[in-house]
Amino acid sequence: METILYLIAYPPLWQVLILGFVGALLVAMVAIWFERKAAARVQRRIGPYWASPRLGGFMIIVADMIRYVTQQVIIPTTVDKIAFLLTPVAVLVVTILPLAFIPLSPHELYWPVASMEYSLLIALALTTLPPLLTVVLGWASSNKFSVIGSLRESYVITAYELVAVLAILAPAASTLSFNIVYIVEAQQPVKWLAILNPLAFLAAFLAVLMSTSAFPFEIPESEHEVVAGPYTEYSGILYALNMGGGYIRRFIYAIIIALVFLGGWAPYTPGLNPFTGFIIPSLIVLVKASIVVLIMSFLRAVYGRYRLDQALDAAWRLALPLALLGLGWSIILAYMNLI
Amino acid sequence: MKPEELLELLKHALGGLAKEVTVRKGYVEVLVDADSVVPVANKLKELGFDHVKSVTATDYPKESKIRVTYHVSSYLREDLAKPILGLSVDLPRDNPVMESLTGVWRSSELQEREVYEFFGVTFRGHPDLRPLLLIPELAERRVLRKDFVVKEESIYEGVPHRYQ
Amino acid sequence: MKESPIGTSSSGMLEGQKLQGMVVRRVEKELYEVFIGPQHPGSGHMRIIVRLDGDVIVEADPDIGYVHRTMEKLSEVREWLKPIPLLERMTIIDACNITVPYVNALEKLMDKSPPPRASYLRVLLCEINRVASHLYGFGIFGVFLGHSTMYMWAFGDREVFVELAEVLTGARLTHSYPIPGGVRRDMPQDFPEMARRAVRYMRGRLEEYRRIFVDNPVIVKRLEGVGVISRNKAAELGIVGPNVRASGIRYDVRLAEPYEVYDELDFEIPVFEEGDALARTWVRVEEIKQSLSIIEQAVDWLERHKGEPIIPKEDYDKLPKLHKEVYEKTGRVKLLPVHATMKIPAGKAIARGEMGRGEIIYYVESDGGTTPYRVRVVTPSARNAIVFKYIVPGHRLMDLPAIYGSIDYFPPEADR
Repeated sequence: METILYLIAYPPLWQVLILGFVGALLVAMVAIWFERKAAARVQRRIGPYWASPRLGGFMIIVADMIRYVTQQVIIPTTVDKIAFLLTPVAVLVVTILPLAFIPLSPHELYWPVASMEYSLLIALALTTLPPLLTVVLGWASSNKFSVIGSLRESYVITAYELVAVLAILAPAASTLSFNIVYIVEAQQPVKWLAILNPLAFLAAFLAVLMSTSAFPFEIPESEHEVVAGPYTEYSGILYALNMGGGYIRRFIYAIIIALVFLGGWAPYTPGLNPFTGFIIPSLIVLVKASIVVLIMSFLRAVYGRYRLDQALDAAWRLALPLALLGLGWSIILAYMNLI
Repeated sequence: MKPEELLELLKHALGGLAKEVTVRKGYVEVLVDADSVVPVANKLKELGFDHVKSVTATDYPKESKIRVTYHVSSYLREDLAKPILGLSVDLPRDNPVMESLTGVWRSSELQEREVYEFFGVTFRGHPDLRPLLLIPELAERRVLRKDFVVKEESIYEGVPHRYQ
Repeated sequence: MKESPIGTSSSGMLEGQKLQGMVVRRVEKELYEVFIGPQHPGSGHMRIIVRLDGDVIVEADPDIGYVHRTMEKLSEVREWLKPIPLLERMTIIDACNITVPYVNALEKLMDKSPPPRASYLRVLLCEINRVASHLYGFGIFGVFLGHSTMYMWAFGDREVFVELAEVLTGARLTHSYPIPGGVRRDMPQDFPEMARRAVRYMRGRLEEYRRIFVDNPVIVKRLEGVGVISRNKAAELGIVGPNVRASGIRYDVRLAEPYEVYDELDFEIPVFEEGDALARTWVRVEEIKQSLSIIEQAVDWLERHKGEPIIPKEDYDKLPKLHKEVYEKTGRVKLLPVHATMKIPAGKAIARGEMGRGEIIYYVESDGGTTPYRVRVVTPSARNAIVFKYIVPGHRLMDLPAIYGSIDYFPPEADR
């Protein structure tokens, strides 16, 4: 009996399957719903409404998911079939992989894998994998527009992943450790690094916006020169995997930012029983991450789209110096023993 | 500039190159031969007419000619901006060939392609003479000439005789 | 990746060989040919064949004609009045501005002229359509740049003006309002108040547009210095409309050859010097403001001169008693059947007008019969199509929607 219970509540299983997939699905759905609703309100229309008026139209996203699961998947004859079919699945798997290394509460009991000394470094390294698979998507589709979209994605990765990694590693420089638990504990109770080191926070926010193709940087999949970029030839469940993968990646970056910049579960000090030690800190972190994701979604209604060379210009001339300055400032913070 | 003043100016400048210069209902028309089109056009460009507004062709099957008209006007000279000048050429109907005026006025390029596909008029020296709006099979039938009759379908086509 | 069978020399086809409906052409090996074709979210009803060298466009070839509706040929087989609903379908969002020059050409041939009240009504509807057309242009432009908020706002505000046109003429878009000699319907009693409210509302909204779109730093960066057309180049290419007014040339048909009552109205022509996409956007914003002021002046005049006729006296005398009663009571003109087969004296006439997108020219030739002998119409977008061939090369691929949207090219109008 106990072994069965232990197997079901096996922390990695629990984290990857329940928290990982189901949680990611829920988060993607809420993010999509919020993006459509907020953009609609700014644009003086109602947005999703008729499917469930009292819930604000949330059920339409559920309906969309059912539709994608049951829709016919069209595979053109000129594509590279194995790559075409496997890459979206691989993208989703690789996207969720960093979650195994991100602890949402300080106790090793609940996060046996994530409470290691180098969790920030490994999680960050794993988040840089999905864009490489996006380039494979474009090649497999055998469509000129997909190729142009993937090339744009490869330019973008070269510029912005560097900025993202540098900016998110700045807190590690301040707290002299790559352990996320230690970084969060160092920010108790309100010494959040977003306030102490705004440069790195701004650089991290910009870099995340760009590398997950959010507005104003929706360049590899911009609809009006390349028809959905690398995702052009997909339909049905593969389309949903691609689009959902974008949102999930944004959410994972948001969790990392919420942990290292916005204080994680601070100012709350977790206890030891499952309730106060596991559920409540996780919820606090998830709420902070959701706020970051929702702000990113809202920018869709306000900004147009940058041109590719202007975005790369912004990366090398604006975001990279900003990230380096943030890194420098965090070293100064460590030197002054402020954190 | 009034049409009558423009008429005087043109008669002065063009001299004997033009066959006929007329004013009718506020519209000045210059009729030239097919060989003197380019010199007249260059003269007009020197006078200040710098763009072509429309390239038209009209088909006169009874007199067996096609008249190609260029309506030109001026942007950069304000006094010449008001009148529209029509430069007309008469071409024989069975072999309408003339020199292209894209060397003089670049703005006539796309419209000469239209006249080519609708009437079958060949413009020598045009940089890119191919059909603009129609597919090539339809352009070979020279659709806007008067002998191309549009066959209109009756609503009873295909309906059995009892119901007509 | 498989090569497409058109245009590559490696697939064994010779240059000039014809396939069913296609022509084989040679393309340079280093250039990447992309068909931004009719089935593309960013192309409208046309195809642009773009040859890229990396990210820079080397050649752009507009392949238009996908919505060619043979209007010139059809006008030769329809009687004189029937081309009015036919020709306004070219740019249905700007319907009155298209038909007014055609009706002016007919009036020149027939030697008729409309009474002043009819002219003011035509001008009123023309300006309402001009505002609606500019808002449509802004909406499409916004969505090409990825700015969906501008798209929704512009189309929502366009509803206000389309409803104004519906109250005036009875139809939202297909007005068919002018007839040779006058207009078809008079203004309702509550129209001036509605028009003034719409004008006040739109003035407030223009301020919002400025904040979210025209002064948006992303949009300014996208548009500044893109698609620059210098003054001489504009005159050489012969482009029309707000595009040429943004390049420093002060040309507007309402100024050069005032038709209807534009010489009695007080308005300005905005002219900018830079010639890039941002200047073209600014010209359209300023033109909306001028059109709003013209609408106010027209409505004031119409209120002061109530009860005047809207068709000429000789046409009114020919109406039978029933038609006269309908005209007195409701202000609607019912045309007699003889108008369907009226004959116009032989001659040639040219008339031009200023649409939202530029200058439209009609050349009408009559041989005295019941149908026109030749109607030649050159729409503003047909003349602006040359911009794709000569201005786009040298820019990057992502500048193509910016230039396309800023010249406000409308394919159904260009293809006629």
